[in-house]
Amino acid sequence: EITLRSSDTHPDGYPTVEGVKAMAEEVREKTDGRICIEVFPSSQLGEEKDTIEQTQFGVIDMVRASFGSFNDIVPVTQIMSLPYLFTSVEHSHAVLDGPIGEEIAAAFEERDLVALAWYDGGARSFYNSQRPIQSIADLEGMKFRVMQNDVFVDMMDALGANATPMPYGEVYSSIQTGVIDGAENNFPSYDSSGHAEVAKYFTLDEHLIVPELVAMSKTSWDKLTPEDQAILREAAQNSSTLQRELWAAQEQESLDKVTAAGAEVITEIDKTPFIEAMVPVYDKYVTTPENKDLVERIRATQ
Amino acid sequence: MELWILFGSFVTLLMIGTPVAFCLGVASFLTVLYMGLPPVVVFQRLNSGISVFALIAIPFFIFAGDLMVRGDIARRLVALAGAMVGHMRGGLGQVNIMASLMFGGVSGSAAADASAVGGLMVPQMKARGYDVDYAVNITVVSSIIALMIPPSHNMIIYSIAAGGRLSIADLFTAGIIPGLLLAVSLMVTAWWVARRKGYPTEPFPGLRMLGALFVSAMPGLILIAIIFGGVRSGWFTASESSNVAVVYALLVTALVYRSLPWSEFVEATKGAVRTTAMVLLVIGCAACFGWLLAYLRVPTQLVEILQSVSSNPIVILLMINIVLLILGTFMDMSPLIVITTPIFLPVATAFGVDPVHFGVIMILNLGIGLCTPPVGAVLFVGCAVGRISIWQAMRTIWPFYGAAFATLMLVTYVPALSLWLPSVFR
Amino acid sequence: MREGMIRFATLTGAVAQAALWLAGIGLVLMTAFVFAQVFFRYVMGSSLFWAEPAAVMLMGWFIFLGAAVGVKEGYHLSFDVGLMVVPESWRPWFHSLSDVVVTAFGFGMAWFGWQLAARAASGVVPGIGISRLWDFAPLIGGGILLMLFSVERILRRAAGLKTMRFGDMDDAADGVVDGAPGAVRADDLLDGKAARPRERT
Ligand code: NA
Ligand code: NA
Repeated sequence: EITLRSSDTHPDGYPTVEGVKAMAEEVREKTDGRICIEVFPSSQLGEEKDTIEQTQFGVIDMVRASFGSFNDIVPVTQIMSLPYLFTSVEHSHAVLDGPIGEEIAAAFEERDLVALAWYDGGARSFYNSQRPIQSIADLEGMKFRVMQNDVFVDMMDALGANATPMPYGEVYSSIQTGVIDGAENNFPSYDSSGHAEVAKYFTLDEHLIVPELVAMSKTSWDKLTPEDQAILREAAQNSSTLQRELWAAQEQESLDKVTAAGAEVITEIDKTPFIEAMVPVYDKYVTTPENKDLVERIRATQ
Repeated sequence: MELWILFGSFVTLLMIGTPVAFCLGVASFLTVLYMGLPPVVVFQRLNSGISVFALIAIPFFIFAGDLMVRGDIARRLVALAGAMVGHMRGGLGQVNIMASLMFGGVSGSAAADASAVGGLMVPQMKARGYDVDYAVNITVVSSIIALMIPPSHNMIIYSIAAGGRLSIADLFTAGIIPGLLLAVSLMVTAWWVARRKGYPTEPFPGLRMLGALFVSAMPGLILIAIIFGGVRSGWFTASESSNVAVVYALLVTALVYRSLPWSEFVEATKGAVRTTAMVLLVIGCAACFGWLLAYLRVPTQLVEILQSVSSNPIVILLMINIVLLILGTFMDMSPLIVITTPIFLPVATAFGVDPVHFGVIMILNLGIGLCTPPVGAVLFVGCAVGRISIWQAMRTIWPFYGAAFATLMLVTYVPALSLWLPSVFR
Repeated sequence: MREGMIRFATLTGAVAQAALWLAGIGLVLMTAFVFAQVFFRYVMGSSLFWAEPAAVMLMGWFIFLGAAVGVKEGYHLSFDVGLMVVPESWRPWFHSLSDVVVTAFGFGMAWFGWQLAARAASGVVPGIGISRLWDFAPLIGGGILLMLFSVERILRRAAGLKTMRFGDMDDAADGVVDGAPGAVRADDLLDGKAARPRERT
C-alpha cells in the first residue's frame, strides 16, 4: 500500500484540485486500492514555490503548480511565462501536447521532477475600477497590482502602466480605496476574490497564458514499478483532459456570474499593438539562440 | 504515533523551560526525523513562515508603540483619559480603561498597552489607595481592547493565516464595536468592584483643563485619524499603515514634543527588535508545527470529529471558543492564530460563520488567553509592573474575566456587532 | 574557570551588542524602505519594486539576529510550571538540557539553511536582482549565533554565573523594569552586578 501526498494552493472544488482527485480515483481503481493519492488543497502544505521544493526533496510526492513558480528551477519555464506568447488557450495546448512539451518535460526531469500532466491555468487579463480599456492608450498611467516578478513589471512598463506589487489580500480594499486602479487575473479568480465588485471593467487581453502542471518527485517515482508508473501516467493524461474541460466550464460560469453582477467585459480588442509593444521585453529575456529558436517554434505551432 | 511524538516532545520541552518557539521547532524536527522525511523541510517552513510581506506590520506597530511610550505620546493620552473619566466611581480604574481604549487606537499590542498604561497608572493608583491587585487586574484585562480597536497586527496575522484573501481593512473595522463593547463592560465591572471596595473618585478638573489636555494629546489622537482615515481613503494599505505610524510617532516625538533624545530612540529601537524577534520567531516555528499538523491531516480529522458531535452552529461555536480558551491559557496569541486558523476557520465557515466575524471572535478569545496563567504575556507584564505575584492577581481578577467572557459570548452570537460596521464602509 | 568565563562572556556580550545594533539598523532601514514605497506610489505615482522584497529580507535578518540575542539575554517566552514542581537542585540540569536543545536547533538552522541556500543560489530574488542565497543567509547567520549564545549559557551555568531567563525581566521588551521609581536596567542584573537605579524619563 502506497500513499502519495499531492499539494495544491487552490481550494477544494477548484478545477486543478478536482483534476488530481480524478486522477487519484482512476489510480485507486486500476491498482485495486494499492496506490492512494491524497490531495492537500488550499495551500495547507505551503505556497507553490515551497511545495515544489518539498517535492524535490521528496517530503511530499506530487505538486500542482503554475509554470511561473518554476522560473528559478527550470529556466525554460521562464520563456513559457512571457506575456502574449500564446495567442490562445488552444495554442498553448497545441504547443504542450506536441514535441515542445516533451522537451520541457525533459528539463523538469533534470531537476528531480517528473512532469505527469499539463493543466490549464486560464488566461490572465486586466481589470480596473476606472474605465473600459480598449487600447494601450487607455492603460496610460494606471496603477495595477501585479505579482512580484520582474517580467510582469517590465511588461507593465512597456504598456505605459504602473506595476504595483502588493499582497493579494490587500488588493480588494486597495482597489476600493484607490491605492491602485486595478489588477490582473483570470475569470474564476476575478469572481471568487470579489474583485469584480470593486473593479467592474474587465478587458480580455489574455496577456498571460501560463500553463500549469502536475509533477511528481523523482524519488517517489523511482520507487514505483514500471507498471504502476504506466498507470499513473495514463491516469494523469486522462485527468488533464478532464481538468481542461472543467476549467473551461468554470470560466464560463464565472463570466456569466460577473456579467450578471454588472461587470463590463470587453472581449473585442485588437491584440496586435499589445504584442508589438512586447518587443523590448522579449529582447531583454530571450537572449540565447536556443531560447530565440524556442520562441520561434512556439509561435509557428498551430 | 507521529502525533504522540509531536505533542509529547512539545509538552516535555515546554515543561523543562525551553522557550516556546524552540519547543515548536524542535518538536517538529524530531517528528520529521521519526517519519524519515528530510529534516530540511522544517527550516524551509521556518524561513517561509517569516518571509511574508504583511508581517512587517508587527515590527512597525511594536516600534511605533515603543516610540510612543518613550516619547511622551502615551503619557499625554493617559492624562487626557484621567480628565475625562476620573470623576466616575473607581476613578483611576476608569481612567486606566479609557487610556487603553485611546492607546489601543494607536497601538495594536496588548503587551505594549499593559506596560505603557500600566507603567503610568499602577503607581498612581497605588498612591491613591487602590489595592494593587485591582490596579493590575484592570491594566491586564483592559489591554485586550488594544487588540480589538484598529490597528491590530494580530488581525493581519489572522488574515494571512486565513489564506491572505480576507480584507484587512474589513477586519480592522469589524473590531471597533466589539472593542468598545469590551471597554464598556469592563468600565461597568470596575465601577461595581470600586463601589464594593469604596475606592475614591478624582475631582473633575474643569472644562478648561480638559481642553488643555485635549490639545496636548492632540498629536496622538490625530494618529488614530491618520491610520483609520488613511487606510479607508486609499493613501496606504492596512499593513503599510503600521509604517506610517512609526514615521508619524518619530516626527511628533522628535519635532513636536521634542521628547525623544537619541539615547531613548536607540533604546526604543532595540526594544522593538527584541519584542519583534521574540514574536516572529514563534510565528516562524509555529509555521513548521502547523505544516506537520496539516501533513498528518489533523485539521481534517478534527472537522470530522466536531461534525460528528453536533451540527448546530451555536454548539460548534461554543466548542471552538472553549478549545481556543483552553489553548490560549497555554500558548501565546500569534502562534495560536497561525496554528488554529487553518483548523477552525473551515469548520466555522462550513457552519455559515463569516470569516471576518470569526476573526474577531478568535482575536477576542485569544486576547483573554493573554491574561490567563500559566502562559499569559500580558498578565506577566501587569504583575511585573505592579510587583505582585501571579497568584495575588488571580485572586481578584474573576469579575474582569467574567466581563471579558460575557463580551466574547455576545460577539460570538451576535454577528452584526462585528459585521455591521464593515458593511457600512463597503 | 570563572575568570576565563567572564572574559568569554565579555566577548559574546560584544557580539550580542553588535548583532542587536545591526538588527536595529535593519529595522530603521526597513522603516525607510516601506515609507519610500508609500511615498513613491502615492505622491510620485510610481512604485519601487525593490522596497517590498528588501524589507522582507531585512526582516529575516533582524528576526534571526534578535532571536539569537534573545537566547543570550533570556527574553524568549518560556514556561515555568514544570520547573516549579521539581526539586530546586534539578533546575540547572533542566535549564542546561533546554540549552542543549536550542544549540541543536541552531545547528539545524545553520546546516540546513546552508543546504537550502546552495540549492536556491542559482535563482534570483525578484525585484532586487541578487542571488536567492541571500533569502537563506539570515537562517545561517542566526543559527551560528544561536549556537554560540546557547553554548555560552551552558558554560556560564557550569561556572556559577547568573544566566538570564524569561521573567527575570518584566515585559522583556525594553530592557527596563517599568513603572516604579528606582527602576533598574535589566542588563545590570546580569552577573549579579549591583543594581544601578535608573529613572524613567
Ligand atoms: Na489597536
Ligand atoms: Na489598561
